[in-house]
Amino acid sequence: MSNTVKNNPIVKAILSSSRILVLLVLVIFFTAVTKGTFFSYKNLVNILYSVSLIGIMICGACFAVLLGGIDRTVSGNAALSGAIVAMTILRGGVGGGNVALAICLGLGAGILSGLIHGLILSRFNIPAFLLTLATNEILYGFVQLVTSNTLIYVNGCTLMDYIGQKRWLGIPIPVYIMLVCILFAYIVLNHTVYGRQVYSVGGNRQSSELSGVPTRRVILIAYIISGFMGALSGFVLSSMNQQASAGQAKNYENNVLAAIVVGGVSMRGGSGSIQNAILGAFLIGVIENGMNLMGVPAIYKDMAKGIIIIVAVAMDMATQPGTPLYNFKKRFQKKQA
Amino acid sequence: MSEKNELLFEMRNIEKIFAHVHALDHVNFDVRKGEVHALLGENGAGKSTLIKILTGVYTKDGGQIFMNGQEIEINNRDDASDAGIAVIFQELSLVPTLSVYQNILLGKEKSKFGFISDKAEREEIQALIDHYGFPVKANDIVETLSVAQKQMVEILKALATDAKLIIMDEPTASLSSRESELLYKIINQLRDKGVSIIYISHRLEEVFNLSDRITILRDGKNAGVIEKEDIVPSEVVKMMIGKEISESTASRELHTSDAEVELAVKNLTHLGYYYDVNFEVKKGEVLVLTGLVGSGRTEVVRSIYGADPFDKGEIIFEGKSIKPTIKKSVANGFGLIPEDRRTQGFSPLLSITGNVAITSYDKIAKGGFVNKADEDKLGHKAVQLTDLRPANPNVKVGDLSGGNQQKAVLGKWLTRDLKVILIDEPTVGIDIGAKDEIYNIIEELSSKGVAVLMVSSDIAEVLRVAHRILVMREGRIIKEFNHGVATQEDILLASSGFVNEKEAA
Amino acid sequence: MKQIRQETLRRIISLVLLIVLIIVFTMTTDTFLSWDNITSMLREAAFVGLISIGITTCIITGGNNLSGGLTVGMCCMVFAHLYHYSSMSLIAIVLISLLAGLAAGVFNGFVVAILQISDFVATLSTGMVFQGITYMLAVRDQYGSITSEMIKNATVSSWGGRLPNGIYYVTIVWLILTVIMQVFLKKTKMGTYIYAMGSNRKSAEYSGISFVKVKMVAFIIAGFMSFVAAMFTLGRNGTCDVNTGTQLNLQAISASVIGGAAFSGGRGDMIGTLIGVLFMQVLRNGVLKFNMTTAQQSIISGIIIVLMLVFDAYYNEFMQKRTTRAAALAREKESAGK
Repeated sequence: MSNTVKNNPIVKAILSSSRILVLLVLVIFFTAVTKGTFFSYKNLVNILYSVSLIGIMICGACFAVLLGGIDRTVSGNAALSGAIVAMTILRGGVGGGNVALAICLGLGAGILSGLIHGLILSRFNIPAFLLTLATNEILYGFVQLVTSNTLIYVNGCTLMDYIGQKRWLGIPIPVYIMLVCILFAYIVLNHTVYGRQVYSVGGNRQSSELSGVPTRRVILIAYIISGFMGALSGFVLSSMNQQASAGQAKNYENNVLAAIVVGGVSMRGGSGSIQNAILGAFLIGVIENGMNLMGVPAIYKDMAKGIIIIVAVAMDMATQPGTPLYNFKKRFQKKQA
Repeated sequence: MSEKNELLFEMRNIEKIFAHVHALDHVNFDVRKGEVHALLGENGAGKSTLIKILTGVYTKDGGQIFMNGQEIEINNRDDASDAGIAVIFQELSLVPTLSVYQNILLGKEKSKFGFISDKAEREEIQALIDHYGFPVKANDIVETLSVAQKQMVEILKALATDAKLIIMDEPTASLSSRESELLYKIINQLRDKGVSIIYISHRLEEVFNLSDRITILRDGKNAGVIEKEDIVPSEVVKMMIGKEISESTASRELHTSDAEVELAVKNLTHLGYYYDVNFEVKKGEVLVLTGLVGSGRTEVVRSIYGADPFDKGEIIFEGKSIKPTIKKSVANGFGLIPEDRRTQGFSPLLSITGNVAITSYDKIAKGGFVNKADEDKLGHKAVQLTDLRPANPNVKVGDLSGGNQQKAVLGKWLTRDLKVILIDEPTVGIDIGAKDEIYNIIEELSSKGVAVLMVSSDIAEVLRVAHRILVMREGRIIKEFNHGVATQEDILLASSGFVNEKEAA
Repeated sequence: MKQIRQETLRRIISLVLLIVLIIVFTMTTDTFLSWDNITSMLREAAFVGLISIGITTCIITGGNNLSGGLTVGMCCMVFAHLYHYSSMSLIAIVLISLLAGLAAGVFNGFVVAILQISDFVATLSTGMVFQGITYMLAVRDQYGSITSEMIKNATVSSWGGRLPNGIYYVTIVWLILTVIMQVFLKKTKMGTYIYAMGSNRKSAEYSGISFVKVKMVAFIIAGFMSFVAAMFTLGRNGTCDVNTGTQLNLQAISASVIGGAAFSGGRGDMIGTLIGVLFMQVLRNGVLKFNMTTAQQSIISGIIIVLMLVFDAYYNEFMQKRTTRAAALAREKESAGK
């Protein structure tokens, strides 16, 4: 590679970020394997469309992970909000007032759920993983109650049709919603006092507390944002499908987790960025889409995700002195030197 | 008597060099059978290096070690325990949910096909406990025991491995006085049973009462060995400090200032921690709280800052009584440099700027939004004010050296309009160069009119920066040095409880 | 004064809850205490209970296991696959299924202990892998779609049988394994090491106990229990589908938590787990008699877990505060005496 190419800032950025590099390799690989179908305009829009939901969820869940916690209820919040919106519209009709009420109720449920999680997790020393594992089950219980375990079709709601069907400049509306959420999360994390406090508390809760940071409030707000984003994604999901069901969005929390850890956001809290988490989502999205095009059955995608999470976290852990993998790496490097 | 004087353990001409500095310079140290031998010295005198060599944490760079007259090599922890040397750890290393006997035998259980003969083990350990008469039972679960009892289990753990030489490093630091009494009794029992003990403590009083002999180290060299009969407290202290040190660094002219009182506490009491604490800090004054670890100094400072509660008394700031919370304190212009910077001082993953700015968003943020330029300015200001190296505010604080980490913590508050700064043991684990810089920063703060309340155990440090000195012991202020000349000796004696020693002498 | 240990208190609470539930359901329904209902409850409890044994063991080491239920599915499917596609003897098939369960344990142990990934994330991911394998092995019809393989074999069906007095074999095996595991945890070297590792990893390692070994043993035990549950699942259902075992894990974790296993490690045992499993089963069974839907059931069991977690955290905090306060007051008394 010539020096001028090496010094090009774009090339530099690509080379310095292993994630972008992997993404590029994957895109080339899938394009080759699918004889170009992968790289068609239609398919690229498809990827954007399918990543948008996970993207919205990440914009919320990222806050919890940066604080050293995790929020597995993004899927439950999504399902509940989607179900509430659909049921409210079904009961009350598709008129404007009802839709507004439906959205308020749906998003309100997410905010309420986030508030409860935030209150518990900011007050008590409980593993967030386990708490949200259990509460997600509760949320799905409520979803079943709301939907009575049936598929709820929503026909003729202008707003939901618009979101689910319409495209601007050839790109589906949910993608724009995701972009707005990313912008929101990016600005909050990078340009507000609250964002600074999130990183500070995630890095060292005690020192933040002694510096006057209201740590409990920081944690509380993070889970509220997470609940809201989960609910928003549920509304978008219902709009995309024109329906709500008891099992909708199930296991999406695993995609969110996979994307976040692949995006290099540390599960130990305090380090990582929303941009990289979204990049992680695209990595997972590209893999899923590519496997789809190659005709790989759905379940193997889960398996692949499992392996991806293990590899990504193991790589993060290998940077920690004292772990066997780190020692192995050091020994290997020594041998090479 | 001849048997009593028989040597168990001997270290001859021990050398240890760290980065061209002699941490230990031809040190000799020996322990007789059934003797309590105290190791005294100021911080940095080489006590812990010596202990680390004889427990196999460090390897010596020169000299010989003998056990029962045989020369031995100690290269790791196993060598040490094979030789019959055991350490009682300050931070207890027990498994809380297991029983006493399970803890004592952990990793050394005798078993048939993996099965433990529970009853036999329990009885064996109970017999050991009865032999020494400790007030614990083999069956007790460790988490239900008091700190002192846990320490006994640690001692039993050492005895169960047939340890002949037990090292106790500040064993009474976290014990109440009644619990300490119990420990003294046990130490005496152990001595009677022929166990030798190396005893390290800053509490001179107990050292003088307990030990059969004292070895004093100073600056990595032997400063003297004293038999029990020959102990004179003030002499021992002189040996620890050294006479060759010039008066100017070993003493300080103190003075009270005429400036306005910035902060005062009246009868401040937190039951069980400190009692009836009264003092005033004036603008531009450096008031130092000294005394032993656990004497209540840190707790006083944390209460003033609002990080801990208090039961009685009053805190007066600029003439008004306040009920502090951390938030109010920060808004009032207080700052805290906490005791343990690693766990309480900074976020290792954040840059210097990120750490520094976290206290100042009330000043530099508008409507909740951060102005990056202002933030960077703040980071640069902190680097400049504290002479941080590398002088790059984007470096992660976790990647800095200890001294520079502490400067970053100082930077959090220096960049604000400070009125009062509370500093708790600012130079622990920091190299000498950085220490000096931190003292300069403190002096500069005081010259700007900031009231400084500092906690320190390092007497040289106290004498370097203090305008006035308060000595705390067991939760009370027992001695004030307000004016005149205070010497290292005065403070050391006062901290150890010999308040009137000098007047008496 | 001696402190009440957390274990003791938790044991009392869970026992009281269990007894209260039994009394309530006995009084409100006629059929609850019938022998038929009891034996069928104990049968259902056994499946959750077997998984719980493994999970409790993992929790005591300071970890967890989210893949236990999915390992059951995998073992079942290994059996069904070999039964359908190979001509091996039944014993060989059982042995290979056993190997699958143990291998799952080794894999979990590898990811947790060698790669040092936290137990939650690790076993969540390995669970996804195990379920993938289950799908991969699923028996398919000539069009390639997954079918539920019926295993028509007298020996296999006999595993689902019961004693003349009505108690199912699986219940007996579960109880025997519970006793064996209790003895293992309390009376063997490895058992003590498992507690030590979960309670204070540093001091355990300092005493020469290997983290990798302890984690491996715990996960292999969990894998074995999943295998046993899998064989009885085949005996009961005579079939295996890809969703076998997916619902078991959260119930099993709940049972362990109710039984006093604490996620901080070092606490919990098989007797507590037994009580927890019975509690969950009685609750589910009684709730069914109230015609509660599965939705209501999962809400209730979820809320119970949350309450238990909050109680645990609150209790720990409370005890810690009390200990420091007591120490302060002791010092206070002394200084007043002076």
